[in-house]
Amino acid sequence: MKTIPAFLSCLAVLILAASLVPAACAAGDGETMTRAELSAAILPYMEATYCGENVVHLAPIEIRTAACRFLGLPEPPENTEALRIATPNVVKATNFYDDYYVGIFTHLSNLPMMRMDANGHLVGLTADRYEVSSDNTQWTFYLKDDLFWSDGRRVTPEDVAFSFEYLGEHEPDAGWIKETLVGTTVSDEENAVTFTFNKPYTTINLEFATYNILPKHIWEHISDPNEYTEAGPFVGDGPYYLEEIDLNAAKMTFRKNHHWQGKQPAFGTVEVHWFANDDAAALALEAGDVDTYYRYANSYPYAGVQRLKDTGEFNTLEKTSIGLTFLAPNLKRAPMNDLSFREALADAINYDELVAVDTLGYGTVPNRGFVPPGMDYFADTPALAYDPVAARQILHDAGYLDTDGNGIVECNGTDLDLDLLVRTGFERDGQLIEEYLEDVGIGATVHQVDSTTWFSLKDEYDYDLTVTGTTPWGMLMHAGWGTGYFDSRRTGKGVLHNLDDPVYLALCDNILATSDQAQLERYAGEMQAYFDDNLPAIALYWKKDVIPYNRAYTGWYYEPLFGIYDIETFLNVRAASG
Amino acid sequence: MTGLLAKGIRYAVSLLVVVVLTFALPRAMPGDPVMNIIGEDVSVSPATLDAIRAEIGLDRPVTEQFASYLWSLLHLDLGYSYHLSAPVFDLLVARMGWTLLFTGIAIVVGAAIGILAGTVAGWRPETKRSRAVTLAALAVSCTPPYFLALLFLSFFSFRLGLFPFKGLYDEATFGSVVHHLFLPVLVLTLFAAARNTLIMRGSVVQEKGSLYALYARARGLSDRAVLFGHVLKNASLPIVTLIALDFGFIFSGALFVEIVFSLNGMGTLIYDAVLGRDYPLLQGAFLVIAVMVVCANLAADLVYLLVDPRIRRQGQ
Repeated sequence: MKTIPAFLSCLAVLILAASLVPAACAAGDGETMTRAELSAAILPYMEATYCGENVVHLAPIEIRTAACRFLGLPEPPENTEALRIATPNVVKATNFYDDYYVGIFTHLSNLPMMRMDANGHLVGLTADRYEVSSDNTQWTFYLKDDLFWSDGRRVTPEDVAFSFEYLGEHEPDAGWIKETLVGTTVSDEENAVTFTFNKPYTTINLEFATYNILPKHIWEHISDPNEYTEAGPFVGDGPYYLEEIDLNAAKMTFRKNHHWQGKQPAFGTVEVHWFANDDAAALALEAGDVDTYYRYANSYPYAGVQRLKDTGEFNTLEKTSIGLTFLAPNLKRAPMNDLSFREALADAINYDELVAVDTLGYGTVPNRGFVPPGMDYFADTPALAYDPVAARQILHDAGYLDTDGNGIVECNGTDLDLDLLVRTGFERDGQLIEEYLEDVGIGATVHQVDSTTWFSLKDEYDYDLTVTGTTPWGMLMHAGWGTGYFDSRRTGKGVLHNLDDPVYLALCDNILATSDQAQLERYAGEMQAYFDDNLPAIALYWKKDVIPYNRAYTGWYYEPLFGIYDIETFLNVRAASG
Repeated sequence: MTGLLAKGIRYAVSLLVVVVLTFALPRAMPGDPVMNIIGEDVSVSPATLDAIRAEIGLDRPVTEQFASYLWSLLHLDLGYSYHLSAPVFDLLVARMGWTLLFTGIAIVVGAAIGILAGTVAGWRPETKRSRAVTLAALAVSCTPPYFLALLFLSFFSFRLGLFPFKGLYDEATFGSVVHHLFLPVLVLTLFAAARNTLIMRGSVVQEKGSLYALYARARGLSDRAVLFGHVLKNASLPIVTLIALDFGFIFSGALFVEIVFSLNGMGTLIYDAVLGRDYPLLQGAFLVIAVMVVCANLAADLVYLLVDPRIRRQGQ
């Protein structure tokens, strides 16, 4: 049903109610009711209930419910079937705006402007299409005209403009908006919003795939969203809206948005159940308490995959992740700033063993070009290979000699003993790498630290080597293809900002200066060639995301950025038998 | 009276030290709280980082921050959490209720079971029943809490399907809360009972060989009368201290059990605050725990006075 003016809504109710009158009479106490009486009774009710100021859309279920309520008939049954998702991404606060994982999960209820499709291409979600000016400073997004908030109001360009201005004002992560956004203009006629930036910005369509759109008429009354802690419900414009965040039940519940005009989802509710540990999540999955598993930027634990498959109740989606684990040399220190030394490092690592131990076979040996094959414009550079003999020879040829014969090469007269900084979550990789390096004569000492300590140490460049990982978003941010982690001009929590080679920086700038796809493809190839030639970071393995799902349901969808947590999953998953 | 006054002064000094430590310890940890406020893979300008730092007051000298902390404490203001965007007091109160529920029950029931089982096991340690009790208590004590909790989850929730896998409830009803908390409370009770059993057993073994116990027997008192009338009272003194400490730490939660059963308790709250370097939350939580420990110790001293006439006489 499209937008219905108020009088048409009432008419629809009247017709519907009239059609229900005989049934009502038959089922009721035998009293009869003329259409005029019915009309006189229903119209004021409907006007008072639904046709208030600004309400422009009535959902069919609302009309039916109102009519049944009026006639004293049983209300139409709600769809109570629930899609249940287990996740180890624990929601910490009932803060719609500020909690990191609430922000991700509410992509379902408060649709971002764009989304990524299964092929890694950006497509419209709230936006129907977009245009960008030739100088890349002005972006115009044309909105879909069939989006409605769950309270019945239409999604407007004002909502979109407000969302980003509000974001820039209140969200530290989105400080770039405040710093670069010059102005926004909206066009109600074209249902469009134009953003003007103070410098060329070529990746706004990507940035806009991560920020949720908010209903202005609700949030404009909330002066500080970071302090706004409510359990719900929250008005949303997706196929579902967020009904409740219950920290004590460890659950978020999304309920069907009856004003959603697109393909109708099969489930009445979507429940996101978080578990503070993976073992409990795995048991709940195996017991059938939940239907699938989702963890942002990560796979289901590989060790548990076979056990789930053995139940016969689960199938798996297995997709190559664009996130990866890597070893980063501190390029500001010797001998890591020596390319020969980095070549020796690359040859010293037993990639096959890492793939076997860390991914249990759900991974592959990476290429020298760093970027995994799931990314756009992947270039097939040579694969990294374990060759300890070559590593020792390179060290020898480059002057790193073991003069005292103790098995460890020397640098400036002393045994090399590199500080190998290992972040939580990569403990096993750190231990293995320490062994590999010592095997070729490079002494290393593992320093295992929690994430916060790691942030400080890497920002102070207080390490020789570090083991860390990328997220899908991290691979896409900045100039894309992993560049955001290394560009020395950036600061941030997970980024290393340790590469200031002018060639590299120029490449980043070139990418950032164009939105032309042919040029981007060329630059992406050059960037991967740069990684191949210079090894500023060494990928340890590429991995698959393995997502188990209940075989009773079909229609699961995976995209590189948010995995299965994509609108296509929620619109398409339904009973396999159906 | 002088003794009590001296104790009071000692506890007051302890509290003062606690206040200084709760402020200093979080700041002694490496890492920048500001970095944790921004997202994982985002780039923010130094200006934005400085603005956040200024907003949460970390740009000021440490002495000034401490003065501000003291001033807030005097106004019963525990500050505002960096990460959870809420007043620390509200966060602590919300979690304390639940934590008190599941750790409190476990401590009380665990103490009762432990005292009883330990007394029986210590009185006749050579019997099979006593050995079985001791073995069971030792086995539970030696089991890592995380493992035992997971084992129970796997058996009772997964295999038997008797209990839910996570959370404090599905619907906020009495029945649902009991259903959800049964397993976590059971695990915590077992640990408390096992430890108390072993302590109590050792204490009873020691006390039953004392002269007063021998004298009581010589007077013709029954075993039951000797055990429960004389030995139990003296043997329970170490347990009083332990239970007092347990109550002191009641608000520190039970981290492993909270993680296994995904419970929204104080343990995970503090753990997350440590990882995120959430200074106000850490300060508030540590302070509450420290005050509880001090109060519990004070209470234990008072109980000692009641239970042990020798201490009463010393006081006089």
